[in-house]
Amino acid sequence: MMETKGTVDRRTLLKMMGAAGASGAVFAACGVPGAGASGTLARGVTGAEFDKSIRLATGGPGGNKDWRPGDSLKYLPAEDIPTRGSASDGLASRPKEKLLEMYWRMNASRKWESTMKDLFLGGDDGLYGAFHPSAGEEAMAVGVMGALNDDDYIASTHRGHAHLIAKGGDLNKMSAEIFFKESGYNRGYGGSMHITDMSKGIMGMNGIVGASYYMAAGAALHAMVRGTSQVSVAFFGDGASASPYYFSAVRSCANQNIPCLFVAENNFQYMSVPMARTAPTKYLTEYTKGLDIPHFLVDGNDVSAVHEATSEAVEWARAGNGPSVIEGMTFRWYDHAGFSGARIGEDGASNLPYRTDEEVRGWISRDPITRYRRWLVATDNATEAELDDVESDVRKAVDESITFARESKNPAPEAGVLNTYASKAATATQFYNRQGLVG
Amino acid sequence: MTQAQKSYGYAQLEAVAQEMRADPTMVFYYEYSIPVSTTPDGTVLDLRTEFGEPRTSGSGWPIDEQWIVGAAIGAATAGSKAIARLPSMAQIYALEYVYNQAGKIRSMTGGQASMPFVLWVDGASRGRGSAGQHTDVGVEAIYANLPGMKVVCPSNAYDAKGLLVSAIRDPDPVVYMNYPEVRGGAQPNVPDEAYEVPFGEAAIRQAGSDLTIVAWAPATVDVARALPQLAEAGISAEFIDPRSLKPLDVETLARSARKTGRMLVVDHGHNTNGFGSHVIAEVVQEVPGTITRKIAFPDVPGPGSGEMMSWLRPDAPKIVDAAKQLMRA
Repeated sequence: MMETKGTVDRRTLLKMMGAAGASGAVFAACGVPGAGASGTLARGVTGAEFDKSIRLATGGPGGNKDWRPGDSLKYLPAEDIPTRGSASDGLASRPKEKLLEMYWRMNASRKWESTMKDLFLGGDDGLYGAFHPSAGEEAMAVGVMGALNDDDYIASTHRGHAHLIAKGGDLNKMSAEIFFKESGYNRGYGGSMHITDMSKGIMGMNGIVGASYYMAAGAALHAMVRGTSQVSVAFFGDGASASPYYFSAVRSCANQNIPCLFVAENNFQYMSVPMARTAPTKYLTEYTKGLDIPHFLVDGNDVSAVHEATSEAVEWARAGNGPSVIEGMTFRWYDHAGFSGARIGEDGASNLPYRTDEEVRGWISRDPITRYRRWLVATDNATEAELDDVESDVRKAVDESITFARESKNPAPEAGVLNTYASKAATATQFYNRQGLVG
Repeated sequence: MTQAQKSYGYAQLEAVAQEMRADPTMVFYYEYSIPVSTTPDGTVLDLRTEFGEPRTSGSGWPIDEQWIVGAAIGAATAGSKAIARLPSMAQIYALEYVYNQAGKIRSMTGGQASMPFVLWVDGASRGRGSAGQHTDVGVEAIYANLPGMKVVCPSNAYDAKGLLVSAIRDPDPVVYMNYPEVRGGAQPNVPDEAYEVPFGEAAIRQAGSDLTIVAWAPATVDVARALPQLAEAGISAEFIDPRSLKPLDVETLARSARKTGRMLVVDHGHNTNGFGSHVIAEVVQEVPGTITRKIAFPDVPGPGSGEMMSWLRPDAPKIVDAAKQLMRA
């Protein structure tokens, strides 16, 4: 274009540029046929609510405006996950070691968090800092990760321990980070809310609600630039669906066929604010329906349903068709952050003002790990004894990680000025002489 | 109810409630910080039930800070006094609308549009455990740089109420910093009625003759801890809390500098372009020859580890040390 600058007038030049832009947009729009999108809607969902809403995915406008504490029970799925159907068959087609690895990771996430809960409440280790438990939501993390390759990207949330562990995170380094030790994932800089493992495509947990969308979409662009078939996943919660970044990222990924999955863990609880205040529609998947991309609404406590939806969305993305939105209905067993209402050795937090104890018990009765265990046995994919062995192995790994954390060193205070810039320490401006106390 | 029974938070909500009662079009928007407070004697102040929606955000608004700020600025432009209250790590979402609209609209419209808008920023602290995004202090410097904006940083319950009343009544946009570390501890009495603490008037917290120390919330907490040790060391320190950063009471600061000849500024904000640098620039221009030093949080995000964080924080031992060195300079 630069060469033509001298030979065409400005009007002609602008016309040429405008024409290129317009034809590009038309081409992109034609590249996402509506029929293709609706043909990929998820099948392996459970519960009358879900069946009814697979295609419509809506309770209509105003679906949540009358939300009352306890209403999440209306979304409670069946006791057992289906042992037949496409989701069950899809998961059963995976190698046995994969299925056991998924069971290991679900258990590891749960036992690791439960152990941390007991240590925070016990107080002997002097633990401090923000901790957002994801217990109860493990099927989302493990179901999604079970359908990804090791080199795919994920961008997590503040409630991301399960994501980390489901993608192969190192329990020792995670525990050490909770203890703010030098041997932790983030060397004591980050703590629970920022655990990151760039070597595993884990772009990190993040303390900012809604930060995952652009992180994941940008990573997917990076994969496109490099010409790989990697995909990227942005996790988010129902609260974060209100972020303007959400629609912006999904829209642009749709517009440019960017291989990014947007995975909502809808746990009905944005901190302590009622659902009625967050989402005017019954399901978050309503928001982006107009973009004509695949939407999946699944039982988020059914690892096979999450796995199936993700597998379809990944296939769609790797084939160059762009993004999908997956929404799993699930429930966090504990408070937004920390352990109000929780006890040592017990599951779940009670007496929280914004939800009912009946609701908590209801969702605990749909424990995604127990359901997966029963599915593994019922479908002859594992024996009780094998699964007991997995759980013992997890227990050992979690305990070892705590020992590792306890025995690790604190970071040097002076490390506080390192790691902000790549090559040089920041100046210690907190001291008169920029070095230390003079005395 | 005696005045002393009021908590910092109650004093603030009392200011909002009184101004909302006085002006039926005033609005107060927030995310999850529900405006309810009680006193030890059981008095409950609940702005949700008293004013309802749409004058308040009821039991909360979505996690969409642009909306909360945008709605308040829009309402303010149309004529409502409006407060948008945002959490610490998310207040920066407000910057675009504040930058491009709040501080500029009166000028751009040739004086037609008024902007009785308050951005109430719930600050963070230089404490352990949160890390990075949840430890930022010193954002007042960013807002103070914007034309059209005013910025206040109260450090006790009395100023918190009085500055909030002034901010609400001000026809221009005001950033009202609410830092957690100044909310605890012993607080001065807070009158029941609405009153103003005027902008641009610094408070001399302690008079002295050897050295001037300047700090605003939340570094006032560390200075207060350092003062007894300085007295023990035989240093007569004058401690000035500007309270209002923009407009800044340069006159009071300069008068003190003329008296002591030495000024130490303590800033919990990051060093480069932190507000303390502006304080020194103003004072040195007025009183050339003043011997000055600023100690500030380094240009790093606050780390989670307590060991690192306490080393980085310009706390009492570092203030005492800096004051001693400054006396020798």
